[in-house]
Amino acid sequence: MVLLKNLQPPTEGVRHEQAETTAVMDGQRLGCGTLYVAETRLSWFDSSGLGFSLEYPSIGLHAISRDVSAYPQEHLYVMVNGKLNSEKAADDDDDDHDGSSDEIRFVPSDKAALESMFSAMCECQALHPDPEDDDSDNDFEGEEYDVEEAEHGHADIPTFYTCDEGLSALTQEGQATLERLEGMLAQSVAQQYHMAGVRTEETKAEFEDGMEVDTAAMEAGQFEDADVEHW
Amino acid sequence: LVVNSIRERTITENSMVILLQGLQGEVTTVDLRNESTARGRVVNVDAFMNIRLEDVLYRDRRGQLTQLQDLFITGRNIRYVHIPDHMDIMKTIESQLAKIHRVRNFGSEGGGRKEFAKKTK
Repeated sequence: MVLLKNLQPPTEGVRHEQAETTAVMDGQRLGCGTLYVAETRLSWFDSSGLGFSLEYPSIGLHAISRDVSAYPQEHLYVMVNGKLNSEKAADDDDDDHDGSSDEIRFVPSDKAALESMFSAMCECQALHPDPEDDDSDNDFEGEEYDVEEAEHGHADIPTFYTCDEGLSALTQEGQATLERLEGMLAQSVAQQYHMAGVRTEETKAEFEDGMEVDTAAMEAGQFEDADVEHW
Repeated sequence: LVVNSIRERTITENSMVILLQGLQGEVTTVDLRNESTARGRVVNVDAFMNIRLEDVLYRDRRGQLTQLQDLFITGRNIRYVHIPDHMDIMKTIESQLAKIHRVRNFGSEGGGRKEFAKKTK
């Protein structure tokens, strides 16, 4: 975060711009200026061109405050993680440094604009998810996990088998399905027909009666959400 | 309105965030990592655990109370989300999963989102 330097206001991806907005940083009024809620960063500039910007990952929360008993004017409240000024950290002895955070208030002259300012910030904040996730399983490259399989109690079984382990794990139904689908594949290869997204281990009720499935209908209907590009 | 990209739906389906999404409309308390707490009605929880609350009573680290009309907490800053006692956790997870499946299977009836339509070669 840069404080009060000569920066350019953002020109692209500005979701909301609010003029006549006073910025108050840790209780200190910085003057009147314009708030820019852009997709890349949040920034504020006064009429002389001095201002500051915040990166969304550094923002802990933001809120609309209409509680005039807490603060005399309705405003957009932003809490920043860590200390804004590294010099200040030395002076502040009543804050424990682990939970240290700083407050910025944006007080627009037009109070009705607070909802738009807030919503724009929500949208932009959502564009910057935390890369340091505790959950290391978030690496999904478009291939969706089969939740139905997990629900039917096959959670420990991997989605795809090697030939040997797979054949022995098939139920009778599964074996019948495999044979029928292999037959269909053989047919489709002969017809030079390209079928993507087939999950051979899945048993769906509509295939159990042994009917010939119209492959064109299957393509259009069955796997609407499969990410074909990845196959 | 919850924006559901494929990636977000997949993340949601495979983490406990799906339970938090079932909290929509409930009043609950969120404990933040910086020792403050916020109690309000859940408006939205996204796949990254960003939580939006309304009609909030916010208590900062020092115990000072403030009322906030709307509050957006970044997922990264959340330590705990309290699940209301009256909520059936399994049922909530199951119904949230069912909603995701309805979205996914909607396309198979001929309608649905065009961006998932197969490209013909």
